[in-house]
Amino acid sequence: MATDLKILLIDDEIDFVETTCKRLIRRGFSAKTALTCAEGLTIIDSGWPEVVVLDVMLPDRDGVDCLREIKEKWPSLPVILLTGHACMQTGMHGLEYGASDYCLKPIDLETLVEKISIAHRESRKPGI
Amino acid sequence: MFPPAHSGLSRRRQTSTSDHDMSFLFDRLTSLFRSKPRLKPAELQAAFRGHYKEFRALLTANNNALELMAELEQALTAGHSFGMAFVRGNCTALSVNIYKMIQHLTRLADGRYAELDHPFRTITRELEQLIAIRSLSKEGPVILSMDEIDVTKVDQVGEKMANLGEVRNRVNLRTPDGFVITAAAARQFAAANDLQVEINRRLKGLDIDNLEELYTVSAGIQGLISNAPLPGELEEAILARHQQLAADTENELLVALRSSALGEDSINVSFAGQYRTQLNVSREFIAQAYKEIVAGKYKSQAIVYRQQRGYRNLDVHMCVGCLRMVEGDISGVLYSRAPDDPRSPFVIIQAAPGLASTVVDGSGATDQFRVSRTSPHPILHKQFAEDENASITGFRKMLTDAQAAELAAVGVRLEEHFGTPQDIEWSIDHSGLLYILQSRPLGRSISEESPVNGAYNPPVTDLPEPLLAGGACASRGVGYGPAFKVRSSLDLLRFPKGAVLVIETPYPEWASLLNRAAAVVSETGQMAAHLATVAREFGVPAIFGMKQAREILTNDTLITVDATAGKVYAGKVEPLLALAAPKPNLMVGSPVYKLLIKALTLITPLNLTDPTSPYFRPDSCKTLHDLTRFCHEKAVVEMFNFGERYGFDDKAAKQLVVDAPSQWWVIDLDDGFTPDFDPESRYIDLGHIVSLPMLAIWQGMTAFPWGGPPPVSLGGFGSIIFQSTRNPNLDPAVRSAMAAKNYFLISKNYCNLSVRLGYHFALVEANLGEFLTENYVSFQFKGGAADENRRLLRIRLISDILNEFGFRVEQKVDAMTARIEKKPGSFLLERLKILGYLLIHTRQIDMVMADEGMAAEYRRKIMADLHTLLISTTEG
Repeated sequence: MATDLKILLIDDEIDFVETTCKRLIRRGFSAKTALTCAEGLTIIDSGWPEVVVLDVMLPDRDGVDCLREIKEKWPSLPVILLTGHACMQTGMHGLEYGASDYCLKPIDLETLVEKISIAHRESRKPGI
Repeated sequence: MFPPAHSGLSRRRQTSTSDHDMSFLFDRLTSLFRSKPRLKPAELQAAFRGHYKEFRALLTANNNALELMAELEQALTAGHSFGMAFVRGNCTALSVNIYKMIQHLTRLADGRYAELDHPFRTITRELEQLIAIRSLSKEGPVILSMDEIDVTKVDQVGEKMANLGEVRNRVNLRTPDGFVITAAAARQFAAANDLQVEINRRLKGLDIDNLEELYTVSAGIQGLISNAPLPGELEEAILARHQQLAADTENELLVALRSSALGEDSINVSFAGQYRTQLNVSREFIAQAYKEIVAGKYKSQAIVYRQQRGYRNLDVHMCVGCLRMVEGDISGVLYSRAPDDPRSPFVIIQAAPGLASTVVDGSGATDQFRVSRTSPHPILHKQFAEDENASITGFRKMLTDAQAAELAAVGVRLEEHFGTPQDIEWSIDHSGLLYILQSRPLGRSISEESPVNGAYNPPVTDLPEPLLAGGACASRGVGYGPAFKVRSSLDLLRFPKGAVLVIETPYPEWASLLNRAAAVVSETGQMAAHLATVAREFGVPAIFGMKQAREILTNDTLITVDATAGKVYAGKVEPLLALAAPKPNLMVGSPVYKLLIKALTLITPLNLTDPTSPYFRPDSCKTLHDLTRFCHEKAVVEMFNFGERYGFDDKAAKQLVVDAPSQWWVIDLDDGFTPDFDPESRYIDLGHIVSLPMLAIWQGMTAFPWGGPPPVSLGGFGSIIFQSTRNPNLDPAVRSAMAAKNYFLISKNYCNLSVRLGYHFALVEANLGEFLTENYVSFQFKGGAADENRRLLRIRLISDILNEFGFRVEQKVDAMTARIEKKPGSFLLERLKILGYLLIHTRQIDMVMADEGMAAEYRRKIMADLHTLLISTTEG
């Protein structure tokens, strides 16, 4: 499993993103955080992240909307939706717009790391 | 793609009833007539890899979905607590995973099966409505006077105040004047500040076993509520009503604010002591005190309590009674019957000087009376508290005989009115007037827990000398665990699961530990304390009034607590523990429990059991389980058919050669063969197979030679003949050539083996991915030649063995499925060896299963072989 992935966490829940970010870095990943969709898009635009973990509720924008924009501009960039509010519609819309996965908080780091790694693996072209 | 062996197919299709696991073979027939796109080898390889990727993702989603379903089902029986967030979260995750399966299947099948969308939408729409957060009505008056309240107003004022209104207006007993700030007011308050979204967000991720997190989240939410401003109109309404109440008061009006949550105090569910009461509140602090009581809905023990009992936070609304303070001269608690005997001919009164709260919160020493329920209510028994102050001052307020009789009469009246024994709080003021402050059903009585064993002292002899004796039973039962003394909130955080809670005083705050405690030993306190009530409800044994407990018991010492007898023993006293009743499943009957049962009707029933049935199609899917079954089955079929659809030549299925060509065929889905294998070859040997799960199964199949069919007694043989006449598939002469073939579909990490061996069918499927999320082994087993009873006995034997090796086994009639998921590869490979062994060695033993001796002998041999197999292969 690749442990040197570059992961971008977009989530306005500061406690959560900062802790998760630190723990991912401790695992050998590279991780950055963004508290808004706009901030996240800027980082993605720089070409840095390999996987995005996106909260569905953001202060500046609806998360699914944000997902849509990411997938329109960078279709091969895997995005995992992570939310504290279980909502089937959001989950299905998310998958329709190309999210790799939809998960619910609380999520233990182990599971999240697996989901990130699988999303990254699946985003590669087959046979490579 | 396959050797031409279609001759027997049509007949088999008509006659087949049970062998659905091979059904995908038949789907092949339909695809024969489809046009075949001709692709170049490189394109073909890429297309195949693409399909395989979809297939693998579908298997992972299937794995997640089945695990989530099992979790939801287990929640009903495990007796653990779960909240609405669990149900909503799991249902949502489940739906999303099934949606993923449909997406992957559609892509795998080049756009077919899109009609699955319809049943999926229908099922999930219904499920979503069920688990949706209902919008709350904010209508109705925000304030109701105590004079206009009775039980019919329960939805507006909560059960505590509705009962008090009943006492006041229907039983016509004296209660304090005042009013209730209703549920509508609480909703308006929450809505004005948009509190619920934020509260839900904070509760969503909460693990109630993580006490530190629990306290942080609880304090955060309470702060949020306490600091939010009251809507202006609401505050004005409260103050205006307060002024009316003050009009006929000489001194400054002081009120008691009492919580009255909707959902609390109903029978068997007392949120005892979970919420706040604020006494002696003056006008300027009413608004703040009101908010704090509303915030008390999220006290840590209330959150835990609700979660354990299955109450949705949204279903609990905090109403607040605002009652004129009673200047209590003497106050206490009255039980209309003894809590441990619903037929007792006496009431129990606990009394202490001052306000009733000292009795209820367990902090004050109380006098106890047993008073006859029959007029003129003589006192049968008195027990006075040891009160150091009293002996110094020589003066202590005592309940008079007349007052005790008055109370007993009230207890009888209230029990008659409410139709069930009551737990009553009362206060007598300076002028001698009796006020009823609260009346609610007497909680789960101690004797209800074990109606059979009514004796207080268990009939156990030869017990060791107790470490401690002489305590009073606050909650019956026997518990065992390490002692752990709790003095402060800091100790709370370190309290280990399964420990015995040792405390000085049974404060209500300790209630949040009861879901982790094996038992409770307190130096002080009595049956009326809230902690005792909660302990009884949770079935946690508790001894109160156990002097020197903290001195004699040291942390981490293992002790057995016999609460029924009021004794504590060193170490584990098995004969006593054997008496311990199982814990009640507290969730049964709660709103969340009922809702989950309803939700599960849309989730777990499996209607699509037979893939050969004409009804095995999308519009027959009635539950989420049906959808997973359909998607999985069709995905395997699609992978099987891939070569054919894309014009592969006939050589995809290779005949396995072990010494000589065998009855086993292998199809590579991706990377299951070594790169140097010649794809033109019709045969393959084991050396060219790199599929880890297949090799493990094979190892299990071949580790021991099969001893051949068991010697069959006449009865067993007769039963085969009988079966054969009914089931043409059992007759070798009728069996089609196709049915005789056993296929391994493999990749390096995946294997799907469908087997027909002897007279039974089996399907083994395994995936050993890079990640635990992807890992599973599943096993289906069905059929046999002997009569049903013998087949069932064999299935039970296999189930037992698989259970021992950690499989989750489900059995329906003579079909069995077993699954393990999300375990490391090495663990699963061992399980595959076991399955491989069982496939071969349980052949035809159904015939001898009726013979107990032989069945036991087979079981012994199987376990011994498996042991050898696992040891030898681990060492090798």
